[in-house]
Amino acid sequence: MADARLEVSNLHFSYDGDDGPRVTAIEDVSFSLRRSEFVSIIGPSGCGKSTLFNIIGGLLTPDTGTVTLDGADIVGRPGNVAYMMQRDLLLPWRSVLDNVILAPELAGQSRSQAREKARALLRRFGLDGFEESYPAALSGGMRQRAALLRTILCERSVILLDEPFGALDALTRAAMSEWLLGIQHEFDRTMILITHDPDDAVYLSNRVYVATARPMRIGGVVDIQLPRDRHRDLTLTPAFATHKKAVLALLENGDLPPEAGGLS
Amino acid sequence: MAGRDRRRFSKAKDIAAPLVLMFAILLSWEILVRLLEVPKFVLPAPSEIVAEMFGSWAIIFGQLRVTLFEILTGYFLAVVVGFLLSILIVYSNSFRRGVLPLIVASQTIPVIAIAPVLVIWFGYNYVPRILITALVAFFPLTVSIVTGLQSLDKDFINFFRSLNASPLQLFLKLRFPAALPNIFAGLKVATTLAVVGATISEWVGASAGLGYLMAQDTQQLNTARVFAALVVLVLCGMGFFGIVGLVERLAMPWAHGRMSAVRYFSQRPAAEIVPKAAR
Repeated sequence: MADARLEVSNLHFSYDGDDGPRVTAIEDVSFSLRRSEFVSIIGPSGCGKSTLFNIIGGLLTPDTGTVTLDGADIVGRPGNVAYMMQRDLLLPWRSVLDNVILAPELAGQSRSQAREKARALLRRFGLDGFEESYPAALSGGMRQRAALLRTILCERSVILLDEPFGALDALTRAAMSEWLLGIQHEFDRTMILITHDPDDAVYLSNRVYVATARPMRIGGVVDIQLPRDRHRDLTLTPAFATHKKAVLALLENGDLPPEAGGLS
Repeated sequence: MAGRDRRRFSKAKDIAAPLVLMFAILLSWEILVRLLEVPKFVLPAPSEIVAEMFGSWAIIFGQLRVTLFEILTGYFLAVVVGFLLSILIVYSNSFRRGVLPLIVASQTIPVIAIAPVLVIWFGYNYVPRILITALVAFFPLTVSIVTGLQSLDKDFINFFRSLNASPLQLFLKLRFPAALPNIFAGLKVATTLAVVGATISEWVGASAGLGYLMAQDTQQLNTARVFAALVVLVLCGMGFFGIVGLVERLAMPWAHGRMSAVRYFSQRPAAEIVPKAAR
């Protein structure tokens, strides 16, 4: 893809197993995202998705393969993409406001300026009135929203989301997905989501990559041809079901059902 | 409102319970000593101990100043050494492998054995006593600090690394604050050990201090004053412990709400810990 924002090509990663032989965790994984796209990688638990994110995030170095951001090589260089995990990783000794400005603070920017900027966004993230609270006083959904605000304030064009709403209950989760889509649009970020929930994947994405487990490979891609302006009702339409069916089929047997449309 | 009243009542009960228990113990002690006519040099009654405390006020408090100086200086030394050792242990593998066995060995030496040697080396002054106090207090403190600094979850470290944090930022903004609960646990234990250490050091080689006074009085069967000095020492130890506990509360306001830091770091699904009021 010539106009790719983030491009991952032919990634291989292996590590020393507990009893000797090397274990291949990732085998020949390639995919790419254009600016402002939302892409999901769906696969069974423990399929090496988090390893993949650690490589893209520059925390792990692959055996072979490249990761480029706007054409520049970022292999082994942390700090180029923002990262949000299932655990909110809010620091319990910092107030919400001081938690969300962590990235600019670590980058050496003025704390008071960062605070001001964050304050202006608190309402959009449903956190106004809680800026001086400690994370322990927040609900699970609020904590994840604070974590996302912190991720947005990293000021990176690409955001990796590692099952960010995995620990939330179904209702909160549905509301968060819809809200996340709005945030992505509003802040114009390119996002990659790791999930094992087909509903989330289809609902949020432009494209869903289905991964196999041990080693992780891309088993197939489903292009989501639904309007980008999505409401939660969309999940009840036949078009949504067709896409979901295609994803599920790929997950189950790594094969495409013949009737599924919109595939590449 | 009713809930708040009940909470206030239960708090009053929390304070009252140990006081009632202590009073009961002292009362039975007093009654038994009088009934059984236990000689004063074997076991003085609480009333006699209190009388002795007021009678020997000047002597006891004169000696207390000496001991208090040793406790505080030894404690301070233990804290400084404990922090330096902990950081070296956490950040240097070769230091950990080489020096940790020596530190453990230092703890197996009986204080009673090493104290006279230290007196030979440093003379009949404050130095050996401060060293012994520090020697007794620094080890559990060091263990606590090391545990605290290493307790950090890998996810937090990876998260900081993904933000390009420098090693110094990682320490100051993550490792150190995350270790505070353990550090304060160690600091509190060390207060009581410093009191014990200072007293023992005086027992073995000193010409002043509460430990010295107690050693003298024991020999002269002045048991009431031994107990009086002990009570003063205990009160000092408790006060010291309380002050460090107060500093802890001020330093970690975030940990004195709904849940402990330990629980936070062994993190559960977020939904479980949400207080009802916040939902």
